[in-house]
Amino acid sequence: MNIMLLYGTETGNAEMLAEDIMSELEGDHEVECRNLSDFSPDEFDAGRLHMIICSSYGDGELPASAQPFAEALKTAAPDLKGIHFGIFGLGDREYEETFGFGSGTLAELLIAHGAVQVGERITHDASGSDMAEDVAFPWASQIVTLAEEKIGEVA
Amino acid sequence: MSRAVAIVGSGPSGCYLAQALLKAAPDLRVDLIDRLPVPYGLVRYGVAADHQGTKGVIRQFERVFERQGAGFVGNVTIGEDVSLDALREAYDAVVLAAGLSADRTLGIAGEDLQGVHRAGQLTRALYEHPDAAPLPELGSRVVIMGNGNVAIDILRLLAKTPEELAGSDLGAAPSDWLTRSGIEEIEIVGRSPASAAKFDPVMIKELVKLEGINIRVLGADRSDDPEAAKKLAALEAINGHGCGARRITFRFGLTPIELSGPDDHLKEARFLDGQGNTVILPCSAFITAIGFGAEVGLPRDLLIGEAVDREAGVLAPGLYATGWFRRGPQGTIPDNRADAQRLASHILADFEGAAALPEKPGRQAFPDWAGAVGYHGWKRIDVAEISNAPENRCRAKIASRDAMLALALQKEEVSQ
Ligand SMILES: Cc1cc2nc3c(=O)[nH]c(=O)nc-3n(C[C@H](O)[C@H](O)[C@H](O)COP(=O)(O)OP(=O)(O)OC[C@H]3O[C@@H](n4cnc5c(N)ncnc54)[C@H](O)[C@@H]3O)c2cc1C
Ligand SMILES: Cc1cc2nc3c(=O)[nH]c(=O)nc-3n(C[C@H](O)[C@H](O)[C@H](O)COP(=O)(O)O)c2cc1C
Repeated sequence: MNIMLLYGTETGNAEMLAEDIMSELEGDHEVECRNLSDFSPDEFDAGRLHMIICSSYGDGELPASAQPFAEALKTAAPDLKGIHFGIFGLGDREYEETFGFGSGTLAELLIAHGAVQVGERITHDASGSDMAEDVAFPWASQIVTLAEEKIGEVA
Repeated sequence: MSRAVAIVGSGPSGCYLAQALLKAAPDLRVDLIDRLPVPYGLVRYGVAADHQGTKGVIRQFERVFERQGAGFVGNVTIGEDVSLDALREAYDAVVLAAGLSADRTLGIAGEDLQGVHRAGQLTRALYEHPDAAPLPELGSRVVIMGNGNVAIDILRLLAKTPEELAGSDLGAAPSDWLTRSGIEEIEIVGRSPASAAKFDPVMIKELVKLEGINIRVLGADRSDDPEAAKKLAALEAINGHGCGARRITFRFGLTPIELSGPDDHLKEARFLDGQGNTVILPCSAFITAIGFGAEVGLPRDLLIGEAVDREAGVLAPGLYATGWFRRGPQGTIPDNRADAQRLASHILADFEGAAALPEKPGRQAFPDWAGAVGYHGWKRIDVAEISNAPENRCRAKIASRDAMLALALQKEEVSQ
C-alpha cells in the first residue's frame, strides 16, 4: 500500500507519533511522512491512503501546523471524491467539552469536500494512562487493512 | 565534520533546539547544560502539577537524549561553575536557553512586608524546586495580583479540594500544606480591564469543574474584538458559578498603589480604580504574578542589548539565544518550539558558512564534568520518583538537591 502520513501539530507530539507509525509501517508499505503545513490539498492522490494524525489546541481548535492546510482546503474547495483518509486524534480529556475537536474538525472538512473516511477516528487522551503509540499502532494496521479493500476496489 | 553545540538550559527551548538541530544534522555533538541535576526547566517546575497532559512533551525530549544522542550535563551553572567565555572557547556554538526565573516586582510601597509573595517563588515551592524557600502561611484571605495564565494556575491550585488534585504530581508536603491552608477567600485582581486580560479563555472555563468554590466576576467591561469577546464570554459563564465555601472574586482595572500593615505584617492592599477612587482589599497574603525577569549570573541585559540580530537570536559570532531568555517572559511551549526551529536553521547555515574553521573539542574540554549529572543519573531520579508515587499521584518528586545528587551520582560510580 502507498501511504501518505500527514500530521498536524502544535507542540510536536503528533509529529513524533507520525514518525513512530512510519517506522512501524515502513517494512511492509511505501510511506511518506509530511507536516500538514507542507502539504497542499491538490496533492491528494486516489491511489494512496492518507493517514492523518492531528492534535487539538486552544479551545478545541486545530493545531498551528494544520491551520494553513484547513484554510487552503476551504478556499480552494477541491473535489476530493475518491480520496481515502484515516484520521487519529491527539487530545486531552481535561478539556472535556472540546476533546478531540481538532481531528474532528479536519475529518468533517475532508468529508464535506467528498473524501471518504476509512475506519473510526480515535483520539488519544494525554491525561490517560495509555501511550499514544499503543493506541495508534493497532488503529493504523486496521486502517491499512480496510483501505487495502477499498482502494483496491477503486483501482 | 561534526560541530559541537552547547545549549545552556534544558527547558523546552533548549530541548526543542537540540531536537531540531539533531534532526537536520544527526552528527552534531550537542550538550544540554543545566544548573539543576534534572532536565526540562519549567515543564517540570512551572507547568501546573494538575496539567499533566501539557507535560507530555517530555516524551519527545527523552528521545533527544535517548535516540538523537544529545548529552545532559546537570548540576553545572554557567557563569559560576564554568564561565561563558570558557564555554565559547570549547564549543563551536553556544546557545543561551536559560529562561527568565526572577519574579518581577510591582515597585510599590510595602512589597517587602511579611505576607507578600511572588508567583515564581511560590510555584517553585509548590512544585518542590530544590532551590525554593519553604511554603509560606497564607492565612484566610488571599489576593492574587495579575491576570496571566500563571495567576490562574495559582488561583486554581489554591482553590482545589484535595480530591481534585488526584492524578497530579503535587508532592506530599505541598498537598498537605494546601489541605491545611484555611483559605476562605481569594480575590484575583487585574490592572487592565477584563477585555485586555492575558489569560487564555480555556483557563477560565476550567474553573467550573471545581467543587469547593463560588465565583463572582466584578467590573468586567465589553469589547467587540473577537479575542477579547472570548475572554469576556468565559468570565460571564463562570460568574455566579458554584456554591462551595471558598469565595473567588475577579476584579479588573485596579492599579495597586500600596501594601500596608502593622509590625511588618501585611493587612491590606490599596488600589486606584479607573475613576481615581481608592479601593482597599483586606488580605493576609498578596501574591504577585506579573511576569519574570533575568536572574543574576548570565549578563542577559548586556548580551541582548549588544545582540547582532536579536530577532534571529544571534548575540555575537557563535553565541545565540532562544526561548524566554531571548524573547522575554512571553509565550507558551509551542512558541518556544517555533523559535527553536528557526534558530536551528540559522545555526546550521552559519556552520556551513564557516566550514573552513577547525572544529572545537566540546565537552572534552571539561574533564570536571565527569562529576556532573548525566542523562542516566537523571533517569535514576526519574524512575525513583515514579515508582515512589503514592496512590493518587503520578510522581513523588525528590525535593532536595543533595538527595537528587546522591541518587544520580553515587550509583554512577558503582556502575563504572
Ligand atoms: C508558573 C508557570 C507556568 C507555566 N505553564 C505553562 C503551561 O501550562 N503551558 C505552556 O505552554 N507554557 C507554560 N508556561 C510557559 C513555559 O513554561 C515557558 O514558555 C517555557 O518554559 C520557556 O522555556 P525556556 O526553555 O526558555 O525556559 P525554562 O523552561 O525556564 O528553562 C530554562 C532552564 O535553564 C536553566 N538555567 C538557568 N540559568 C542557567 C545557568 N546559568 N546555567 C545552566 N542552566 C541554567 C534552568 O535551570 C532551566 O532548566 C508557564 C510558565 C510559568 C512560569
Ligand atoms: C493549551 C492547550 C489546549 C488544549 N486544548 C485541547 C482541546 O481543546 N481538546 C483536546 O482534546 N485536547 C486539547 N489539548 C491537548 C493536546 O491536544 C495534547 O496535549 C496533544 O498531545 C498535543 O499534541 P501536539 O504536540 O501534536 O500538538 C490542549 C493542550 C494544551 C496545552
